[in-house]
Amino acid sequence: MNSSTPDRNEFEPLIETVNLKTHFRTPRGVARAVDGVSIQIRRGQSIGVVGESGSGKTVLSRSIMGLLPRNGVIREGSVRYGGEEIGNRTPKQMRSIWGREMAMIFQDPMTSLNPVMKVGRQVTESLRLHLGMSSSEAMAVAEKIFRDVRIPEPTRRLNQYPHELSGGMRQRVMIAIALACGPNMLFADEPTTALDVTVQAQILDLLAEQIRDRNMSMLLVTHNLGVVAGYTDEIAVMYGGKVVERAPTKTLFQNVKMPYTEALLQSIPRLNQPSHSRLAMIPGRPPDLVDPPAGCRFASRCAYVRELCRHEEPPLVQAETPDHTFACHFPVGSPEYHERRVELTRASGTTAGVS
Amino acid sequence: MRYYVQRVALAILLLLAVSMLTFGALNVLGDPLFNILGPVAGDVNNPDSIKMIEVAKREFSLDRPLPVRYALWLSDFVRGDFGVTFSSTGQPPVSGVISERLPRTVTLVAMAQMFAILISIPWALITASRAGKVSDRISTLNAFFLVAMPNFALAVILKYVFSIKLGWMPLTFVADDPWRSRLFQMILPALTIGLPVAAVYQRLLRTDIITTLQQDFILLARTKGLSRTRILLVHALRPSLFSFITVVGLNTGALIGGSIVSETVFRIPGIGSTLVESVLRNDFPVVLAIVMIVASSFVIINLLVDFAYTLIDPRVRR
Repeated sequence: MNSSTPDRNEFEPLIETVNLKTHFRTPRGVARAVDGVSIQIRRGQSIGVVGESGSGKTVLSRSIMGLLPRNGVIREGSVRYGGEEIGNRTPKQMRSIWGREMAMIFQDPMTSLNPVMKVGRQVTESLRLHLGMSSSEAMAVAEKIFRDVRIPEPTRRLNQYPHELSGGMRQRVMIAIALACGPNMLFADEPTTALDVTVQAQILDLLAEQIRDRNMSMLLVTHNLGVVAGYTDEIAVMYGGKVVERAPTKTLFQNVKMPYTEALLQSIPRLNQPSHSRLAMIPGRPPDLVDPPAGCRFASRCAYVRELCRHEEPPLVQAETPDHTFACHFPVGSPEYHERRVELTRASGTTAGVS
Repeated sequence: MRYYVQRVALAILLLLAVSMLTFGALNVLGDPLFNILGPVAGDVNNPDSIKMIEVAKREFSLDRPLPVRYALWLSDFVRGDFGVTFSSTGQPPVSGVISERLPRTVTLVAMAQMFAILISIPWALITASRAGKVSDRISTLNAFFLVAMPNFALAVILKYVFSIKLGWMPLTFVADDPWRSRLFQMILPALTIGLPVAAVYQRLLRTDIITTLQQDFILLARTKGLSRTRILLVHALRPSLFSFITVVGLNTGALIGGSIVSETVFRIPGIGSTLVESVLRNDFPVVLAIVMIVASSFVIINLLVDFAYTLIDPRVRR
């Protein structure tokens, strides 16, 4: 085992961030893409990070991995990997961890594989670099991994170029690249968004299976709560660079607290609805990260907003359900929530009657 | 396959067009008789002179109509007979002039191209990886300086610094020296041609590498833990080479143009300097032969460039 592999304590988090902030210098000012996020991921645990575009979920995963654009980034707070602080390491110091301990899967397999390099070589590259394998040893391992990720005719595929493979097949190649050196931590950034709906489930099943077999941890970034439902142990909902609700997956779906999470849940298209029924959507736009509004960042779009929300930012508090935290003054189930809910139903009822 | 047959057919048509235009233009623009006969050609009141003019005209087929002369020239040319030089004796034959001087120019141009490529690729890689930083800006200034400076000025500067002041390099080309020293003597002339071209290549390749570095697959390569150098060399360079090799091919013409200046300043008897002399002397067969050689090599190199795409990018293979 590699000396830096953390296996001191099964219960100690593999990844832990404390008040992580990633800000970008933009022409308009400092954009607070990730604004004080504290999360823990245990070994073997899968956590889903959910939010709209621009909520900071991708930047969060890149910040943990330390893979941010070089220009204009200010990163604060702590990132610990196996109890060791890695938040302030330079990319140069991180290279021994990248590929070896942490790996990442990207959204678009069309653009994420090198178009002029055979896929076999793209897999063996990190094996040779990190594990010092010879070319033929690495090829043998790559073939085995291709089999693991169910790529048919692995021997032939190894010698093909990305453009000769289908989208689903390319995503399998990308998973193979990520799994090559047996990392402990996998970051999957919208791994199925660019794929055909029929292939999406296959890829997610494959990921879940590999995570389980290899006892890896995973951070799955997605905008689709439906995707994370079956494949993660825990969900963190992000909004405007902050985590606004976090709970074990089951708890979250049964006992949602934050109106934003509720709205996300309602906007998942459902197959059992009659066709042509209007998709539920959240009105308005995500908050400006350069000049975020005072108070709750979701206030301007929230159906249950009250005066307090606009002035005072709600802290993350513990829900009655275990391991469940949320940031809302008037969460789902509170008397104020119910009061507003009744008003809203009545209002939509009348308009429905008129039209 | 069919594609290449088409390309070759097009190339032949192109060369025919080039030869016709050159042939026509040369015959419209000048009178070669003066060069063949000397002052006699102008002495049209003397019966002896008129007789000599008649004889010379017949001997060099100048009395035939232009299309016939073109056809005669073409049928000789495709059989490898480049004709005679327009001089009183018709000696030496054009093929003799060419075979003596062409190798020097080919060596010079090849060397210049090699320098341009060998300098521009590392230059582009380094500047692209530190785009926007001070070193990149200084490099940009240098590149513009090299491109903006006239070829002859660069030739004189190089000659002054390296040959006269430092004495590292020989001053001129000596045709009778052994080939090693002749190669050595060609370094400065080749740099004269190659440096501005290297600057152009660097500007182009740098931009393409910067674009490639923003691709997702570069980020994926970073997540593998590869070093920056390896990412640049293995992942970023090859997909960035397309416009580079196109321009390398197209620039062959510019290099031959550059060889005219360089051969003159460094006194290399190549076809560049021969071309200038022959144009001034209305020595049509030599000019034609050189134009055709330059045009053919241009066409052939660009066919090769087409083929090189398939080596770089598997997606264009069929």
